[in-house]
Amino acid sequence: MAPPSRKRKIVTRESPVVSGSASDDELEGGLLDGILSQSDDESVEDSEEENIEGLSEDQGSSSQEEDEGDLDSDEIPSDGEPDIREQIRKLNTNDGSSKSRHGKGPEDVVLRSNGSRLDLDTMENGGGQDEEDDEDLQPNYTVEVDANGNERYVYKEIDPVYDSDDSDAPEATNTIGDIPLSFYDSYPHIGYDINGKKIMRPAKGEALDALLDSIDIPKGWTGLTDPATGKPLELSQEELEVLKRITRNELPEDGYDPYPDMVHYFTGKEEIMPLSAAPEPKRRFVPSKHEAKRVMKIVKAIREGRIQPYKPPSEEVEEDPDVKTYDIWADEVPRLEHYMNIAAPKLPPPGYDESYHPPPEYLPDKDEKAAWIEADDEDREKEYLPTDHDALRKVPGYESFVKEKFERCLDLYLAPRVRRNKLNIDPESLLPKLPSPEELRPFPTTCAAVFRGHEGRVRSVSVDPHGVFLASGGDDGVVRIWELVTGRQLWSVKLSRDEAVHVVRWRPGKDAAVLAAAAGEDIYLIVPWSIISPDLDQISRDLLDAGWGYAASKPSTTTNGVVNKESPAKWSRPGSKLEEKGVLVKATVRSKVQVINWHRRGEYFSTVSPTGQSSAVAIHTLSKHLTQLPFRRLKGIPQSAQFHPSKPVFFVATQTSIRSYDLARQELVKILQPGAKYISSFDVHPGGDNLIVGTYDRRLLWHDLDLSSKPYKTLRYHKEAIRAVKFHQGGLPLFADASDDGSLQIFHGKVVGDLMENATIVPLKVLRGHQVKSRLGVMDVDWHPREPWCVSAGADGTCRLWN
Amino acid sequence: MGRIKKKGTAGAAKNFITRTRAVKKLQISLPDFRRLCIFKGIYPREPRNKKKVSKSSTASTTFYYTKDIQYLLHEPLLNKFRDHKALAKKIGRALGRGEAGDAARLEKNLTPKMTLDHIIKERYPTFVDALRDLDDALSMLFLFANLPSTSAVPPKTIALCQRLCLEFEHYLIISHSLKKSFLSIKGIYYQATIQGQDILWLVPYKFVQNITGDIDFRIMGTFVEFYTTLLGFINFRLYTSVGLVYPPKFNAGSDERGGELAAFILEGKGLDSAQTVVNDAVNANGHVPKAITSAAAQAEADKLAELPAPEEETEDSTALVAANGEEESTETIDTFEVTGQDADVLPQPQATGVETSTLFSPFTIYLSRETPRQPLEFLLKAFGCKRVGWDSILGDGAFTTNELDPAITHQIVDRPPLPRESLPAVPDAAPATAGEGADAKPAVGWPRSTVPGRTYVQPQWVWDCVNQGKLQRPDLYSPGATLPPHLSPWVKPKKGQYDPTAPLAEQELEGEAEEFEEEEEQIENGQEAEESEHEKAAPLKLNGKRKSLDVLLDREGSIEPGEGMDVAGSVSESEDEDEGEALTPDEEFDGFSEESESEVSETEEVRLQHQRELEAEARGVPVESLNGNVQPKSKTAEARKKFAKKRREEAEEKERLKMMLPQKKRKLLNRIEYGANKRDKESELLRKKRRKIESVKGGK
Repeated sequence: MAPPSRKRKIVTRESPVVSGSASDDELEGGLLDGILSQSDDESVEDSEEENIEGLSEDQGSSSQEEDEGDLDSDEIPSDGEPDIREQIRKLNTNDGSSKSRHGKGPEDVVLRSNGSRLDLDTMENGGGQDEEDDEDLQPNYTVEVDANGNERYVYKEIDPVYDSDDSDAPEATNTIGDIPLSFYDSYPHIGYDINGKKIMRPAKGEALDALLDSIDIPKGWTGLTDPATGKPLELSQEELEVLKRITRNELPEDGYDPYPDMVHYFTGKEEIMPLSAAPEPKRRFVPSKHEAKRVMKIVKAIREGRIQPYKPPSEEVEEDPDVKTYDIWADEVPRLEHYMNIAAPKLPPPGYDESYHPPPEYLPDKDEKAAWIEADDEDREKEYLPTDHDALRKVPGYESFVKEKFERCLDLYLAPRVRRNKLNIDPESLLPKLPSPEELRPFPTTCAAVFRGHEGRVRSVSVDPHGVFLASGGDDGVVRIWELVTGRQLWSVKLSRDEAVHVVRWRPGKDAAVLAAAAGEDIYLIVPWSIISPDLDQISRDLLDAGWGYAASKPSTTTNGVVNKESPAKWSRPGSKLEEKGVLVKATVRSKVQVINWHRRGEYFSTVSPTGQSSAVAIHTLSKHLTQLPFRRLKGIPQSAQFHPSKPVFFVATQTSIRSYDLARQELVKILQPGAKYISSFDVHPGGDNLIVGTYDRRLLWHDLDLSSKPYKTLRYHKEAIRAVKFHQGGLPLFADASDDGSLQIFHGKVVGDLMENATIVPLKVLRGHQVKSRLGVMDVDWHPREPWCVSAGADGTCRLWN
Repeated sequence: MGRIKKKGTAGAAKNFITRTRAVKKLQISLPDFRRLCIFKGIYPREPRNKKKVSKSSTASTTFYYTKDIQYLLHEPLLNKFRDHKALAKKIGRALGRGEAGDAARLEKNLTPKMTLDHIIKERYPTFVDALRDLDDALSMLFLFANLPSTSAVPPKTIALCQRLCLEFEHYLIISHSLKKSFLSIKGIYYQATIQGQDILWLVPYKFVQNITGDIDFRIMGTFVEFYTTLLGFINFRLYTSVGLVYPPKFNAGSDERGGELAAFILEGKGLDSAQTVVNDAVNANGHVPKAITSAAAQAEADKLAELPAPEEETEDSTALVAANGEEESTETIDTFEVTGQDADVLPQPQATGVETSTLFSPFTIYLSRETPRQPLEFLLKAFGCKRVGWDSILGDGAFTTNELDPAITHQIVDRPPLPRESLPAVPDAAPATAGEGADAKPAVGWPRSTVPGRTYVQPQWVWDCVNQGKLQRPDLYSPGATLPPHLSPWVKPKKGQYDPTAPLAEQELEGEAEEFEEEEEQIENGQEAEESEHEKAAPLKLNGKRKSLDVLLDREGSIEPGEGMDVAGSVSESEDEDEGEALTPDEEFDGFSEESESEVSETEEVRLQHQRELEAEARGVPVESLNGNVQPKSKTAEARKKFAKKRREEAEEKERLKMMLPQKKRKLLNRIEYGANKRDKESELLRKKRRKIESVKGGK
């Protein structure tokens, strides 16, 4: 049932519909239709407007009232060709007759249309050829002249007859595709046909039609609109009936029996005449003699034993399979052990405590017993509790014997096995081979003397080259000289009222006793004449005084016309009051001096004043009272500077690196990168090839200059910043560092002459004694020139001698 | 550059396979897989990198080695399992139809016969391999031999286990390969050495085993099935290797009467001349004549020689003895003497096993009915005793069931001593013992009829003799005596670990004793501050130490059999200073009281002093240092301080060294030291306990 297709036909091609409507007399109707359709087609081809006109002309209201009269084509009034309106009027009355014709409708229409097409073709070509033959030969288009005067091919409609090209395509379908019709609501058409022509919207209820509708609602009117065509959807009574059945889950067709009675194929029908009329033979009722014969034969055979009715039971006692009667290892071939084969570990043999009567010390005491009983099975170290039974007869059965064996079974087949390498290392071998403590001796171990007297921190200490005196300078601006062994103060001078004495350093060399001290920008050179022998005093004074003349003559002789340049330091006499005490020379530099280091010969000393920028590092010549600034510009803030003990090399430490310069050739030799963030101090090994660096980030670094620019060892044993580091200068392989955690650490650092061997560094001793004051501990450390004694200066206002 | 390899297609990911995948690959059920794994000895592995194997999933799974599983694919047992499954279906169908006869017939005819022989050969290509794996097998089979039959454990299995175990024991007896045994609280450990392989197994005491619900007997049954096959082959090999017929004849009647070992009748080449060889061997054995010193014992021995061969089969014991007699000249190792001065000396085994293995051969030993007959019989026979008798209540197969048999030299008893009054009047048999050196009238007597000329010992004597390799002094093991501790023979004394056999003074750290004393004193001072004669504790302590030392030393020394106390219960000389002889063990510790201390009389003190001096002389220590009375308290404290300081210094030194180690090595060192520290702590605890015990004993 395809009402929509029918409708579409109606819309696009009126002629078939009309012809279909006059279907009774085929011949006549066909002719008539042909004529009608021809004219109609022509008009369509001319223009759309004409088409519409033609529609309205020819068919009148038939097209207009299609919204309700879609059954037109079906319910064609059989009686000729009256007014269409009349037909519609009759719809109601002709219902019954239309029903009977229902099925045939479409076919008729098709035939008709085909017929009309042919007519049209023949007419156009002017030939009276046979319909069927010509169809293939003739071109199925007409040539027309369009508006521009060009040829235009107008193709005929393809008629989907059975063997046409497009058999199943519905004719003149709307080509708008699968979009809702509502998209075309604002247009007069509802889509396009295959030729691109507009399909006009079927006219909707005119006033008259509405009136007609109001008068009689056609049978099958549903009030729905067919979504594909936009026409009202009407269903016939039968269709409605079918729908109803479907919704009720019934069989859609009436009178269909889904469960008919079975008719037996053969016996269902009793033949009146049997195929054979012979009576049942006797043999069907008497026992077979032949069979009896055969049975007797078998019986006889059984009796005679020729046939055995069942297999005799095989000898039961053939062999017990559990008793092994052969040697499975008769030809044994050893197999190489595969790596992946891991034999199950054997259970360990029992120990003393598993004995039924163990030595009494193996028995648990009360607490252990309680702990064992309380613990979970998994937590117990041993699965049994050692128990003592004084006689064998008192030994009870072991409760979890079966369980243990079961668990062993589980272990054997269920526990993943893994090959583990047992750590069979002697722990002693891991420890490094170190010299024995006896070999390392002597080194300072205890505090031998405390030097009290300074107010405030003691900033610096220095032991004189003879090893007799100890000079110290502190925050109180006083330089004190002590007798090293006794701790008695021998001499003191107040250098400055408001500046701290940052550093004191004895001039090396036993020929004279000169002490350099720095307070603020001033460097004082002191000969403590009252405590040294007169000879020594005289030599020292001569040494210092030698420069005065030079300094006076210098500007006139050496510098010719560059006097305008400000001299880096001003050398002067400190004034009579100080001179009386022995402070003989005062040199004033541009900024505060923090570090003084003497050249080994005692002719030069270097000072570092970190805030001095270009004048931060200065080298002073004692005999000439001359100050030179070796570096015009320095990268970073210098922290310390030192002369090489044997070569003309000068080391300068900035915050992160240490550079060594060749003084003779005046060039940079090496840059060391200790990797520290803030270097506090460093010291050069007396051999000259090794360097220790102390940093504020708690590291003590040992550099081997020949090895690398990176440290050879980084030692981190302090909890606070390291303030000072010092090698023993008198031939003992010792060095010490002083830290803010109030401790000194003494290390053994032996450098061997052999280049292939690295230095041995052994931590020896932590010396504690200084108190930490405002987060400062030990400020400075110095070694005795010969003995394994060291002296430290503490923030607590004391110095200590350690030996 | 080659193609980039896809992850998980090679290496560890392919080498290992999860259990689920293995089961799927083999197309068997999980229980079947389990059985197969048990039979074939296939076990899960722990891959080195689990993540690589499990494709980075972290769920804990068991992995098998893929090649193991591939190897299982070709296993003939797999087909048997499948046959069995098919049969089960058939039987199930038959039973479902109610055709019981059919089912029975199917079961009878179609049950696949499964043998594990090929697996034994596969798993143990050589006999030694099999011996190496025998520990678990023996423990398991001995357990099953002692289990009652239940639905899970069919009686057939138990009988089989019993048979195999007894056969194995017979071999051990014949070959004298049993080496050690140990009475533990779990059971009795035995160790045998066969072809150089040490086999250690555990036999439970004869009690009903406690079987909890979580024990799956199917698993154990599978193991037992495998182990029985294994032990069957091993027994065959062992029997044939010593020229015996396997299987030995089984006397069902004797077994029913509880014959156990005696239910098997061994047959073989060297077993025909039974009794004569015994006597020859006895005479050939060097120390036997010496052993029988007393006239009475000699008479007994003579009588023994004239005894007719007993009805019970004793051939079993003779096989090896016979062999010994014949092949002695060839089998023993010759001692190599070094001729040159500068030559190296190669070590040679000293003790010949023969001596130990015939330890009990001259004795006739009778087991009282309260003793565990089976282990004793086995042990005694394995160590050369051919004449073991017992009360008929203990079962069939005894050499004699007559307790009063004059041939008996030793009787093993395990009864509490009864106070004298409670005994009925005994017809005085004492005069017979007059010939003996020791007095036959102990304070607490072995209750009833003490047969003269017989040594009564507790069962532990047998074990201690076996483990020490020589006969122990029987008086230490006399009935009712407090036994010396029973020690495991497998613990080798290690340096730094506590050794209960060595005197405490030898193994304690320097200063430890002083520290302990100090501690003790502190405690005591806290408890009884008013006690004035505190100093006396010191000598007493020393004495106590010495005494226990004596005991231990005595254990070392062997004595000639027969020389010891004939009648047990007499007190040894070492104990005669003990005044409270009659004290039961429970009361022993009460002695540490003021009373006993005050009892220490002057003479006693003098005597002790003398003793101390003697002892010090033996040790080579100046007497003064040992003199507890002279030694002031401060001295110990000083010594202690000194040692503490020394130890501290050592620790400091070690710390110093450690400071120089890189982090990695330091951690490794700590890991190593963890175990050592634990052991040290353990042994320190033991020493402490022992010191306490000794001080208590000494204080008494």
